[in-house]
Amino acid sequence: MPQEQKPAEPTSTFQAKAGLPASPQPLEVHPATTDIKPWDLDNVAGFEHVGKPRPRIEGPLKVTGKAKYTFDIKLPGMLYGRMIGAAVPAAEILSIDTSQAEALAGVKAVWTTDSRVVRFAGQDVAAVAAVSPDVARDAARLVKVSYKERPFTHELREAMKPDAPRVFNLDRMPSGRDLGRNGNLAGPRPSRSNRGDVEKGFAEAEVVHEGTYYCPVHTHSPLETHGVVASWEGEQLTIYASTQALFAVREGVSEALGIDRKNVRVICDHMGGGFGSKLGPSATGSAFSVVACRLAKQAGAPVKLMLDRHQEHLCTGNAPSALMKVKLGAKKDGTLTAALYQSWGSAGVAGGAGTSGPAGALHGKNPNFKAEEWDVFTNAGPSAPLRAPGHSQGAFGLESAIDELAEKLGIDPLELRKKNEASPVRMAQYDVGAKAIGWERRNRKAGDMATGRLGAALGPRKRGLGMANGNWYVFASENSNAQVRVHRDGSVELITGCQDIGTGYRTAMMVVAAEELGIEPGDVALRLGDTQFPEGPGSGGSVTTNSMAPVVRLAANQARGKLFELAAPLLGAKPEELDAAHGKIFLASDKTKVVGFKQAAAKMSGESIEVLVKRPKQYETFRGDIAGTQFAEVEVDVETGVVRVVKMVSVNDCGLPVNPLTTQSQVLGAMIQGASWALFENRVLDRNVGTMVNPNLEMYKILAPADMFEAESILTPVANMGNNTSTAGIGEPPIVPTLAAVANAVFNATSARVRELPMTPDRVLQALSEARRA
Amino acid sequence: MARRPPPPDEGREQTSFSRRSFLKSAGVSAAATTIVGAGERAEAAPAVLGPNAVTLNLRVNGAVRPVTVEPRVTLLDALRNELDLTGAKPVCERGGCGACTVLLDGAPIASCLLLAADAEGHEVTTVEGIGTPEKMSPLQAAFVEKDALQCGFCTPGFVVAGTALLAKTPRPTLDQIKAGLAGNICRCGTYGRIFEAVQAAAATRPSQAPSQTPSQRR
Repeated sequence: MPQEQKPAEPTSTFQAKAGLPASPQPLEVHPATTDIKPWDLDNVAGFEHVGKPRPRIEGPLKVTGKAKYTFDIKLPGMLYGRMIGAAVPAAEILSIDTSQAEALAGVKAVWTTDSRVVRFAGQDVAAVAAVSPDVARDAARLVKVSYKERPFTHELREAMKPDAPRVFNLDRMPSGRDLGRNGNLAGPRPSRSNRGDVEKGFAEAEVVHEGTYYCPVHTHSPLETHGVVASWEGEQLTIYASTQALFAVREGVSEALGIDRKNVRVICDHMGGGFGSKLGPSATGSAFSVVACRLAKQAGAPVKLMLDRHQEHLCTGNAPSALMKVKLGAKKDGTLTAALYQSWGSAGVAGGAGTSGPAGALHGKNPNFKAEEWDVFTNAGPSAPLRAPGHSQGAFGLESAIDELAEKLGIDPLELRKKNEASPVRMAQYDVGAKAIGWERRNRKAGDMATGRLGAALGPRKRGLGMANGNWYVFASENSNAQVRVHRDGSVELITGCQDIGTGYRTAMMVVAAEELGIEPGDVALRLGDTQFPEGPGSGGSVTTNSMAPVVRLAANQARGKLFELAAPLLGAKPEELDAAHGKIFLASDKTKVVGFKQAAAKMSGESIEVLVKRPKQYETFRGDIAGTQFAEVEVDVETGVVRVVKMVSVNDCGLPVNPLTTQSQVLGAMIQGASWALFENRVLDRNVGTMVNPNLEMYKILAPADMFEAESILTPVANMGNNTSTAGIGEPPIVPTLAAVANAVFNATSARVRELPMTPDRVLQALSEARRA
Repeated sequence: MARRPPPPDEGREQTSFSRRSFLKSAGVSAAATTIVGAGERAEAAPAVLGPNAVTLNLRVNGAVRPVTVEPRVTLLDALRNELDLTGAKPVCERGGCGACTVLLDGAPIASCLLLAADAEGHEVTTVEGIGTPEKMSPLQAAFVEKDALQCGFCTPGFVVAGTALLAKTPRPTLDQIKAGLAGNICRCGTYGRIFEAVQAAAATRPSQAPSQTPSQRR
């Protein structure tokens, strides 16, 4: 949740400016005494590097195949491991016979589970390590598992039925110990955003809309599957991990193996995608990291254990499905009087399938709000956070309902949202986005292109415009540390353990350090992705940049202070009178009094200046959340039911973007992933056998080049003031509105309301036939 | 009962088996792993390889690179595990994602769907053969410039597919670019910028004298 605490200890106070560049608001901010004056809107014009588009530093390695990912690591004598997952969704394991596998030439180690209860297909059962991937696959086939199968339930709505097979005994349910339980349900869990009195609000309403919406399970499907390379040298364990959280791997593996953290080193240089599924020691539905370490110990050789694509779909997490009932009440002029939001979600065998975040945060002028959420257990792999967990589903339900309410009221959906908007940032974003998409072209009457200016229908292909809002939060981790080392020769190292998951993080950190030190970003040698370096946060919740940038800046600032002390006597000035830029240190009042960065460094006693600092506390923010809104233009073939996105515009607040080029890449990517969920993605479990029907990348369809549309990112930077760089995370927020924006555009094009995703032709044609009947 | 594959060291010098010795050593159930020699080998050697490791002389990025692998090993695994050419990535391992794309005699193929033995006698070009960090091809440089990558795991496949596209269609339209890259997927959602990079690289190609038409350039 948004963090707005003021530190308890004495503070220094700064006047800063925050808000939109056009109308900055003065703000008194209270950072910790150890912190430095924040960058705010006044700084932007003077930045040498911050805020300038810059190609990512690791780009040349990645485009030439030289970047080494975990999957690419090869150590001398390395063996290849392979996990073996349960073949059935619910069972008791009677026996696991590994004798044939062990007898196979080339097999060097075997592991079997102690657990005897299977609750989802793909759950860890056994593993092997062998001299080649092919021999490991042969050995896996020779492991004989005997099951006593049990009844299972594969899908949310089936699992909610009173007579559905139980996934857990009531006392074994993994979530919501204080919640009511009934069959496979745990809940209701009330929302922290509940306010007012919804009964009263609905009594005051002149128009009421009720709708039910459904989102299926999506899998993360990072292109690099989960996996590790584990290598022992005596007691010392080195793990190369494809992870978003190096230090969580160290902690989890050392705990599971009962060894000291000091003996475990985890390394990740480049990482092939995670989207939230790689935040734990292994994965939510597997302990493969620990298993790989055990296999390596047993074999006396390094073991590479990467999951295959089928396993990746089954046991490494997913986004929960959600069944959402939304009831909205409003006055005839569009003023919301009440919102009741109920959600049933299935995270498989795990809890945490809530989706009420957007409903609680959006349309903040509505005085009466109530949300209730239930977890529904199914015999399927546990979920994992997936890019703004629960928020895309929740925004699909809520923002589809708002669109339906607008239709009922006869009000432009954009005007309805403005009427109930509490965020000054989003209020400013509406017109920016509307202009970019050409909102005035929309069909005034849904399905009738004669009432808009989107052109004439091309045969059966009809166009429409839609929009939706999203919200996210300012999270930050104070467990963020950075070291700056300036050598006597003037060369600079920035050392932080935190991993780079491909967001542009490493380039951003070099820019921040260079800005503060007055040198070029390329002159900062960045060491990262190694638990031997100072500890950093896991990359989840859009925290990495805004956790690490402030501590990197602070470390660079302190190193700069020490250099100024060396330079001051050379310039006959006091350290506090100096400034630095372009590799030079000079008098702030007289830039002709100058000394080189290297000249100053040469004066140090000893071989280096080293500064190691911990992140200052998060302090009061301009506003708690991250605002965003999106607009979509789609084309629907009303004869085939095929939906094509033509264009999307995402308008996002992102604090001060350190590197707009990579920031916008993330926005575009989130929007594209969201469109993929809206149109294509659906994990299908077979109702007869409970295993996944499409555990690959051709039947689990992901948006591909041929489906691509024109995508535009517009940033509305807001100096955020929660940290000394005013940075905020942007990885997650832009995927929140996308599903609803596309669905609302389909409605505008056709007057068909698709309330169940993905919007495959069958569902669109069904919605079209319902619309014709109505 | 499954066949017992030999340790990789066995049969290192064997480049071929007679059909009789093959059946004797492997048992008939191993027939699924036999392959028919391809290209030049088909004329020079017996038609059946394996099941033990065989030495293959692959031509990769302009050099002859011998590898000793079981005949069932894919070109992708041979490149990655034997030659440390890890630019081509294993992602779906069934031809559905394009991440393992390499050029075979200039044409893009899924290296997860081709046996290494079948690549003998052909020229294999991997992403490493297209450029180096110090000397990137125009397309690679355009990928960096346009930020047409995030995690980068799909990127080598896109670079190889894009290279093949530009060789065939030096100035592609947007639709031709989409068609040329249709076999590749990116989970980070970098498509738009990939299209821009291909267009930018096309514009910088030296072969693009203004007077030339696309058909003349082909």
